[in-house]
Amino acid sequence: MTFFENQLEEGIFQICYCENCNSALWPSKEICHVCHEKTIWRKSMNVGTIIEFSKKDSTYFGLIEIDHGIRILGEISCSSEPNIGQSVKMIVSLHNKPHFLFIVENN
Amino acid sequence: MNKVAIVGTGQTKFSKEDANIEKLLFESANNCVQSTKNCNSKDIDGVLVSTNDNSKYMGAILSEMMGIQPKVSHSIEHLCSSGTSAIISAYSYISSGLLDIVLISGVESATNPGQVLEWDKSRGSFDHPIYWASMLTKSHKRKFHTTEEELAIVSAKNHKHAIDNPLAYSNEPRTVSEVMNSKQITDDLRILDCSRSCSGSSSIILASEEKAKKISEQLIWITGIGQKTTSASFTKNILEEIKSTRIAANSAYEMAGIEPKQIDVAEVHDAFSICELMAISELGITSNEKSGEFVRNLFNTENKMINPRGGLIGAGHPLGATGISQTIEITNQLQGKSEKRQIPNAETGLIHNMSAAGTSSSVMVLEN
Repeated sequence: MTFFENQLEEGIFQICYCENCNSALWPSKEICHVCHEKTIWRKSMNVGTIIEFSKKDSTYFGLIEIDHGIRILGEISCSSEPNIGQSVKMIVSLHNKPHFLFIVENN
Repeated sequence: MNKVAIVGTGQTKFSKEDANIEKLLFESANNCVQSTKNCNSKDIDGVLVSTNDNSKYMGAILSEMMGIQPKVSHSIEHLCSSGTSAIISAYSYISSGLLDIVLISGVESATNPGQVLEWDKSRGSFDHPIYWASMLTKSHKRKFHTTEEELAIVSAKNHKHAIDNPLAYSNEPRTVSEVMNSKQITDDLRILDCSRSCSGSSSIILASEEKAKKISEQLIWITGIGQKTTSASFTKNILEEIKSTRIAANSAYEMAGIEPKQIDVAEVHDAFSICELMAISELGITSNEKSGEFVRNLFNTENKMINPRGGLIGAGHPLGATGISQTIEITNQLQGKSEKRQIPNAETGLIHNMSAAGTSSSVMVLEN
């Protein structure tokens, strides 16, 4: 398992960051492809914004933008239909594959 | 650069049943060589196999099965656009003068592993193509006011075209109402909006101008090629665009020296209904705002210019064979051999084949 996956298993979403270029690198990589310096890991702020969503059976899912403009697909937990631009809190886990859960607060 | 022509084609029927890929590969390659007059297996100096199957050494295996000892043989994998990637590789071998005659065979079994790109962790547990297709559909509806009915027309049209394609996985007609009432997969996708993973194989032979003129009297020339990869991760896409298609199309048009309005017939990559609407816009055939109306008009007037073979939705989608099957359809159209599917007086045709939510695209222009 990679460090990223190990950390997901611990409930932590880690993002590679190049201090030299002052930019996040996604998907994560240990060496920056621009300046070739070694990158560091930074924990996500675990918050995001809904870009688009749909629903399968009773489960909402969607494209969410988190730290540094990184976009990922995940489940949206909400009590009523979500809205584009809504803020969400992120909870991550790993069960064979990554699972990203986004909770709409004050929905 | 040397000119390159299509001189032979061969296919198997597409099917939902699982099948042995070596058997399928041999069947389509054998059909192809047999139907190519004045070309024996020993004349072929390149053998390329396009597939997403995990089987090894397929280029050499097909060569041995066909009794060919080529200079160059290998396989090519590029998810759903493996087929056109293999054709474009063969074109490059020939136009550079390295090879003269190349057999390209694409194959897949219905249970192929090419539907999910495990590397793309940004898809999380929503890694099946239905999820990105739902995102593209919802976003297109939101931005361009695309309706459920317009999406259903894409599928009904392509199923209707497939009735006249004896190699399609199904020849069952589907009405717009049937599509709109078919099983709901997500809020934005129904089962008949989706192409089916299939077993099948398609083969084609390309030759240099000098060799081609000795092999065939009805040559079809590859006059334009464009390819573009923008990323591998789906989530780096802008949802309302397929940028790789737009860039690849512009390159192909420039190389061929044509405008989109000169396209008489096109096979476009309708992995899902939404993909056809987006593709015909990015190819410059219509605009995003008018794509639904454009397809409705084709359907109402029984104009088969887009996906006459039935596209991926109507004919089926054996990943490694799809791009080659699309190319064979356009070849037949330009040769006037498409029977009930024939577009009258077709002189210029286009093939659009893409991978992984349009993160990469191939576009080819053919002329007779």
